[in-house]
Amino acid sequence: MGIRSRASLIASAILMAVVLFLPLWVTAQTKTAGASAKSEAKPAAAKTWVAPRTPDGQPDLQGYWTSLSFTPMERPAKYGDREFLTEEEAAQIHKEGIQHSYEFTFNDLAETPVYDATVYALSAWQEGVAPNRRTSLVVDPPDGKIPALTPEAAKMREAARKRGPNQDYADPKAPVKADVAEDLNLGERCISFGGPPILPGAYNSNFQIVQAPGYVTIEYEWNNEIRIIPLDNRPQLSQTIHRWHGDSRGHWEGNTLVVETSNFRPGATFQGANAKTLKMTEYFTRTDAKTIEYKFTIDDPSTWTKPWSAIVPLSHMEGPIPEYDCSENNNDAVNILAGARATEKAAEEKAKNISQR
Amino acid sequence: MELEKMKVTLFAVVLLACAPVFLRAQNTAQQPPARGTAAAPAARVPTPGEFPPYKAPHTTDGKPDFNGIWQSFVTADIDIQDHDAQPGPHPDIMGAYGAWPGGQGIVEGGEIPYKPEALAKKKDNAAKRMAVNITSDDRRHETGDPELKCYRPGIPRANYMPFPFQIIQSTDNVMMVYEFEHALRTIYMKEDKETPKDPPADSWMGWSHGHYEGDTLVVDTTGFVPYTWFDRAGDYHSDALHVVERYTLVSPYHIMYEATIEDPNVYTRPWKVSFPLYRRMEKNVQLVDFDCVEFVEKMLYGPYYKNPGK
Repeated sequence: MGIRSRASLIASAILMAVVLFLPLWVTAQTKTAGASAKSEAKPAAAKTWVAPRTPDGQPDLQGYWTSLSFTPMERPAKYGDREFLTEEEAAQIHKEGIQHSYEFTFNDLAETPVYDATVYALSAWQEGVAPNRRTSLVVDPPDGKIPALTPEAAKMREAARKRGPNQDYADPKAPVKADVAEDLNLGERCISFGGPPILPGAYNSNFQIVQAPGYVTIEYEWNNEIRIIPLDNRPQLSQTIHRWHGDSRGHWEGNTLVVETSNFRPGATFQGANAKTLKMTEYFTRTDAKTIEYKFTIDDPSTWTKPWSAIVPLSHMEGPIPEYDCSENNNDAVNILAGARATEKAAEEKAKNISQR
Repeated sequence: MELEKMKVTLFAVVLLACAPVFLRAQNTAQQPPARGTAAAPAARVPTPGEFPPYKAPHTTDGKPDFNGIWQSFVTADIDIQDHDAQPGPHPDIMGAYGAWPGGQGIVEGGEIPYKPEALAKKKDNAAKRMAVNITSDDRRHETGDPELKCYRPGIPRANYMPFPFQIIQSTDNVMMVYEFEHALRTIYMKEDKETPKDPPADSWMGWSHGHYEGDTLVVDTTGFVPYTWFDRAGDYHSDALHVVERYTLVSPYHIMYEATIEDPNVYTRPWKVSFPLYRRMEKNVQLVDFDCVEFVEKMLYGPYYKNPGK
């Protein structure tokens, strides 16, 4: 019914805000918990659990999953080289994350009258997200930090920073550049909500895995974007074909689904990686009935000085994944463009009035 | 080989006539057909519409196996009823690229049993099929063919768009993923708390449950928004639309598809469409992106651009 798509502007803003500020926020939230750090024992692996198989014998990853997490991408400085939190610390961060998510959504109600958060909020407290004992999603390099950019990539990022975003949701007074639809971001345009890799968003980090002989499919709830991953060792697509989510090839290594993705569209890669040189490898391993350990490795020598990896726990959630009509009811695009025109017109009127005085 | 050549020629003619949307498919379709292994001559040339008795292969969990990439080759997306070739919009610049092929319809009995007032609306739809008026509310859906605007095609239209779709069949779910706008539907093969019988909300692709009757996949779909059309000729439905589809494997390379369409707000009785789906057989064939959203932005939002019309 488009209820979600009408909220997608807010969603994009939340997503961006959380991706940008999550590390800071988690740092603030955990001031009190950090002091009681204990041993760094790894979480105990389930011993008796046996991974189920599909009828054709693949390890079974099927079901509804969420990548929602309260763990920052990079390790906050206060943890030093600590890889794991204590159970108590992890539980505290989880509790505060849930509370924050709850308040965040309900604080927004006035601004999103069509969005019934009690029904449609795909939010942390409604989903089965489990506490994560890691101090950062990044696990390699061991300092938990994304490696340095190459000089060329750093230059490009600095130039982008100076240009600033076309729409800055963190600053309501910031100028908006929306001359044409292409000035909006890919999510606002209902073209792509990004990935791979699979990362936590503020909400709606939901997806479904369906397996058939020879294929694993991943359907993200955002815009019902879909990756169909063939397992038959076929060659990569020719480099002249590009896809918004890249083009994936998978194979099983024991109980782990290994997915390699290439053929990304320039301008639609993770953190502005170079579509031509980006090599992305994902590893999906079901560790118990309610968890998939998801790891991705990014190797792009023209963007980062060395490869790096992160682990995002995927938690089982209740289905289904509903239709996410987006372009069909993309009122954001209309409103952003019309808003920019109204602002220009008001400025013109003002200038005219001043000159007439 | 003569038959192969004729098939390829016919295929190419249909594709050429069908304008830009077909170009990518055409590239792969024009590869020479792989020479089959030598076999005894067939008893006779197949008669269109007739399939010899066939026992479908089964999945390891014992269901008829529909996995694969499929495509129809009817021209029903232009008009599900019989129609002549047409110049299409802007023949002055589009020439044969923009022309639409004629074709025989897919409606059983030839006519859609519209109520009189509904037939008038269908005609009005057709007259205004390219009327685009995008607002930030539901009025945006009042005129124009949703296909033109790159909206999800709905059911059954998605199955006869000139694009392939892939069936991914697991025990509990059958997914159909359409190349057009990466539209997709999940057909739930069981009813439970997560996927109850009744639609939790209306949607463009509907809310579908399926079951097997012998080697036929039967899909029952309701919960549609009233905005999708069946073709460019303005054939339409209301939110009371109920579609029952039957997918039957009739050869290693064909599914016979049949859909019964019911909507008491618009038609005097239920009616049927049917046509075969063809298995795409190019080596390593896969879906690629046809995310037409980026191709229609200027048409949809142009009036709100800084320099409209440029």
